Amino acid sequence: MATTMKKRTVVICGGGLTAGLIARQLTAKNVDVLVLERGYDHTRAAEAKLPNQRDELRWATHAGLAQDWAVQTYTLRHGRNETALPVRRMEAFLPGEGMGGAANHWNGQTWRWAEYDPTLRTRLEGRYGRKAIPADMPIQDWGVTYGEMESYHDLFERLFGIAGKAGNLRGQIQAGGNPFEGPRQNEYPQPPLETTEAGVIFTRAAENLGYKPFPMAAANSPNAYTNPDGMKLGQCQYCGHCERFICEASAKGSPEVLLFPMLLKRPSFELRLRCHVLEVEYDRQAKRVRGVRYVDLMTGEEYEQPADIVVLASFTMSNTKYLLMSGIGQPYDPTNGSGVVGKNFCHQMMSGVNVFFKDRWINPFLASGASQTCVDEFNEDNFDHTGLGFFGGGYIYSNVTNGRPIASRLVPPGTPAWGSSWKQANADWYAHSFAITAHGSWYPHRENYLDLDPTYTDAYGQPLVRMTMDIRDNERRMSEYCTQRAEEIAKGTGATIVASGTPRRGPYDSRVYQTTHVTGGTIMGADPGTSVVSPHSQHWDAQNLFVVGASVYPFNAGYNPTGPLGALALRLGDDMVRYIDRPQIL
Amino acid sequence: MSTNSTDEGLLTGRRLFLRQVATLAGSASLAPKVIGAAAVAAGSAIAAPASAQPAGAPIASAPAFGYESLGPDEASFVEAMVNVMCPADNLTPNGVDCGLAVFIDRQLAGGFGTGDRLYMRGPWKQGKPQLGYQLPLTPDQFFKAGVAAANAACRGRFDKDFDQLEPADADAFLRDLAGGKISDIRVPLGQWFNELVYPLFTQACFADPMYGGNNGKVFWKMIGYPGLPATHTRDMVNFRGKPYPGAKDPKAIQDFS
Ligand SMILES: Cc1cc2nc3c(=O)[nH]c(=O)nc-3n(C[C@H](O)[C@H](O)[C@H](O)COP(=O)(O)OP(=O)(O)OC[C@H]3O[C@@H](n4cnc5c(N)ncnc54)[C@H](O)[C@@H]3O)c2cc1C
Repeated sequence: MATTMKKRTVVICGGGLTAGLIARQLTAKNVDVLVLERGYDHTRAAEAKLPNQRDELRWATHAGLAQDWAVQTYTLRHGRNETALPVRRMEAFLPGEGMGGAANHWNGQTWRWAEYDPTLRTRLEGRYGRKAIPADMPIQDWGVTYGEMESYHDLFERLFGIAGKAGNLRGQIQAGGNPFEGPRQNEYPQPPLETTEAGVIFTRAAENLGYKPFPMAAANSPNAYTNPDGMKLGQCQYCGHCERFICEASAKGSPEVLLFPMLLKRPSFELRLRCHVLEVEYDRQAKRVRGVRYVDLMTGEEYEQPADIVVLASFTMSNTKYLLMSGIGQPYDPTNGSGVVGKNFCHQMMSGVNVFFKDRWINPFLASGASQTCVDEFNEDNFDHTGLGFFGGGYIYSNVTNGRPIASRLVPPGTPAWGSSWKQANADWYAHSFAITAHGSWYPHRENYLDLDPTYTDAYGQPLVRMTMDIRDNERRMSEYCTQRAEEIAKGTGATIVASGTPRRGPYDSRVYQTTHVTGGTIMGADPGTSVVSPHSQHWDAQNLFVVGASVYPFNAGYNPTGPLGALALRLGDDMVRYIDRPQIL
Repeated sequence: MSTNSTDEGLLTGRRLFLRQVATLAGSASLAPKVIGAAAVAAGSAIAAPASAQPAGAPIASAPAFGYESLGPDEASFVEAMVNVMCPADNLTPNGVDCGLAVFIDRQLAGGFGTGDRLYMRGPWKQGKPQLGYQLPLTPDQFFKAGVAAANAACRGRFDKDFDQLEPADADAFLRDLAGGKISDIRVPLGQWFNELVYPLFTQACFADPMYGGNNGKVFWKMIGYPGLPATHTRDMVNFRGKPYPGAKDPKAIQDFS
C-alpha cells in the first residue's frame, strides 16, 4: 500500500524547463510548490565536468542523458492496421531525465514561432479559402495570440540570456534580423554568437538568391551574462558539445543553471528527485484531481501525494500517458475523429544537402549548438502555397553545430563505407564540408495519434504509449519543396561538390534522429470539443489540472519548440497565481 | 598531458611482450586467435606486417592486452575484419594496431553489449526495419550469433572461415554483407552488419582513445579533429576559415585525467 504524504498546494510532475519556469512564477508569490522528477541532479557529475563532458561516445552516441529505454519506451506502427512493436532503443527523439529535463542537453536554438502560428487555421483559411485545408489535417488555432504571449517571450529571453538580432522591433523591420519575425518589444538581451565559416558562405549564397539571412537566436551565451534573477551564465566556448551534452562552462541557458539553484533557495519550493510519477488520481464525480501516485526510485516504495493543483510538465509522451492512464478526458478515436487525448501527434521533418569545399576551412569543431545562419523565406506560411499541394515549410540554415568525429563527418557521394579510400575521403573533407539543412514543420494528420499499447509494458507494469504515425503526403511534399530550395542555395555556394538533396520520404523511422520536438497529445484550443486544455493550459474537465509543454501544440511548426513553451509556461505560472485566489475556469 | 611519452614507452613494452608470446606460441595460425597484435607479429595473410607500412605512417600503440568478451574464433573474425576495413596505409596502421578490435570487445563486454538502455521485454516479433531492433538477444549475444552465421556463410562460399580469406575476398564478402546479399536462416545478417557491426567500427575509429580504439588518436589526427579541451571562444574568430593548428596534435580525455 502506498504511503500518503502531506497535502501540497501545487504538485508539478516532471522537473524540466516548463516546471522550472512555472515554479519561478509561483514561488515568487510564496505559493507552496513540490516538483516530482524521476531523474537526478547532473550538475556535479561526469557529464557536467571536464574532461569527461567531452565524451561523444557516452553522451551522444549512447545518448547517456536521455530517458532509459530499458525502463520505459514507446511502441510504433505506421498505421492502424499494423501491430505496433516497442522501439527498443529509440533514436528518432530523445526525451531527457533529471533536474532540468531535456533543456539541459538541448542545442539552444531559440525561436519565437511566427506571429500567425497561434492562429494558423484562421490564417490558412483566410489566405487560401476554407476548403483549402484537407479534411484529414485537423489543424487548429490555440485560442491565444502572439500578442498575448509577447511579454512572456521577452521575459523568457531575458531569463535565458538569448543572443540574437531582432528582425522586427515594434513593427519596424530591422536589417540583419529575421524579417519574418513577429513584432518584438525589445532587442534580444545579448548580441548574436559569432558566425561560422559555413555561415559566411551560406550568407553570400542566400543573399545572391535575394533572401535575407540572419543569425539564429541562441541560448548559448556569447558573453558572461547575469539575468534579471541574478543568475549567471558563463561564456560560450564554441566547443561543439551542446546537443545531448550538459554545458560544462554553464554557458547554455538551462534550467539546472538558471532556475533550479535559485528555486531550491526559496522557502516555498521543494524538489524530490528520483520520483517517478505513475498516475494522476482523478475524482470523476467531482471533476477534480486529488493528487498523484509515484514510486520513490531510491527505495522502490509507492507514495500518494495529495495536492490542491496538479501540473503535468513531463514532456509530450508522459503528459499524454498520465491522462490516458487516469481516464481524464476522452481518448481520441481516429475512426470517427471523436475524442481528444492523444490527438494530433506530430514530429518534425529534417532534410538537407551536403556541400564540400576543396579550398575552404569549415572547421566544424569551432561551433556552438546555435551558431548558425538561417533564412526564413520558406518556413510555414512565409510564402505563398497556392498550387503547391501542401502546407508548412521550414527554415533553411548552414548546419554546423559541432565537429564531433563519430557522427559529424561528411564524405562525398560515392565514397565507399570503409577501406583506404574511405579514410582518405574523411581526411580530405572532414574540415571542408557542411550540410545545408531544412528544419521542417509537421502538421497533424487524422491517422497520427497516441494511445496506450495493448501488449507492451514498462518497468512499472504500466502500458507503453503507442505511436501510430507515419510521414504523410503533406509532409513529404513539404520536404521535397524545402530540400529543393536548400539545393538551390547549395549550388550557389561555389562548393567543389554539391551532393544531391535528401528529402525525408518515410516510412517514419525510429532509427534516425530528427529532433526531440514531438508535439501534441494534449492539445490546446478554445473549444472543449476539440482540445484537451484551454488557451490557459487548464484541463477542460478537471479544472485543478494544468498541462504544459509541447503536448499542447495542436501542430508542429518549422521552428524549434522551446521559445513559445517558455512563454506559455511563464504565463501559466501567473495564471495559476490568479487561479489559487479564485479557483475557476480561467 | 605530459604522460604521452611514458605511455608510448609502456605500450611499446607491451607490444614487445605480445611479440614474444606469439613467438612462444610458435604457430601463426594459433597466435591471431589468441592475441590481437600477434596477428601483426605473425604476419598473417590479412594483417599487413608493420614493416609494410609506408614511411611516415602515423605510429599507433599496440592495443591493450587480452579480450574480455570475444572468444578465440570471434577475435580472429573481428581482427580480420577490422584489418580489411582499416588496412595499414599512409593514413593509419591496420585496424588491430589502431585498437579497433579491442574497442569492439570492450563495448561488447560493457554496458552497451549487455543491453544497458535497451528495452528487453517480450513478446518478441520481427517487424518493419523502421521499428528497429527486435531480437531477444543482447548486443553481445547478437554480435556473436552474427559472427558464427557469417563464418558459416563464408565456409559455404569459400570453404574457409572469414579470417582465412585473402583481403580482396574478405572485402567483397563484407560488401555483400552490407548489401544484404548474404543470408542466414536465423540471423538477419544485413541488419547485423549495418546496425551493429558497422557503427561499432566507426565508433572504434573515432571515439575517445580511452575506450581502446583510435590508438594514439590516429583517426583524430587523420581528419584534423583537435579534441579537448575545445575552449574555442577566441579560436572561433582567429581561425574562422583558416587551418586550425591544434588539429595536428589532438588531445584526449586521458591527457587531462
Ligand atoms: C538533444 C536535444 C536537443 C534539443 N535542442 C533544442 C533546440 O535547439 N531548440 C529548442 O527549441 N528545443 C530543443 N530541444 C527541446 C527542448 O529540450 C524541450 O522543448 C524542452 O526541454 C521541453 O521542456 P519540458 O519541460 O516540456 O520537458 P523537459 O525539459 O524534458 O522536462 C520534462 C521532465 O519530466 C520528467 N518526467 C517525464 N516523465 C516523468 C514521470 N513519469 N515521473 C517523473 N518525472 C517525469 C523528465 O525526466 C524530464 O526531466 C532539444 C531536446 C533534446 C533532447
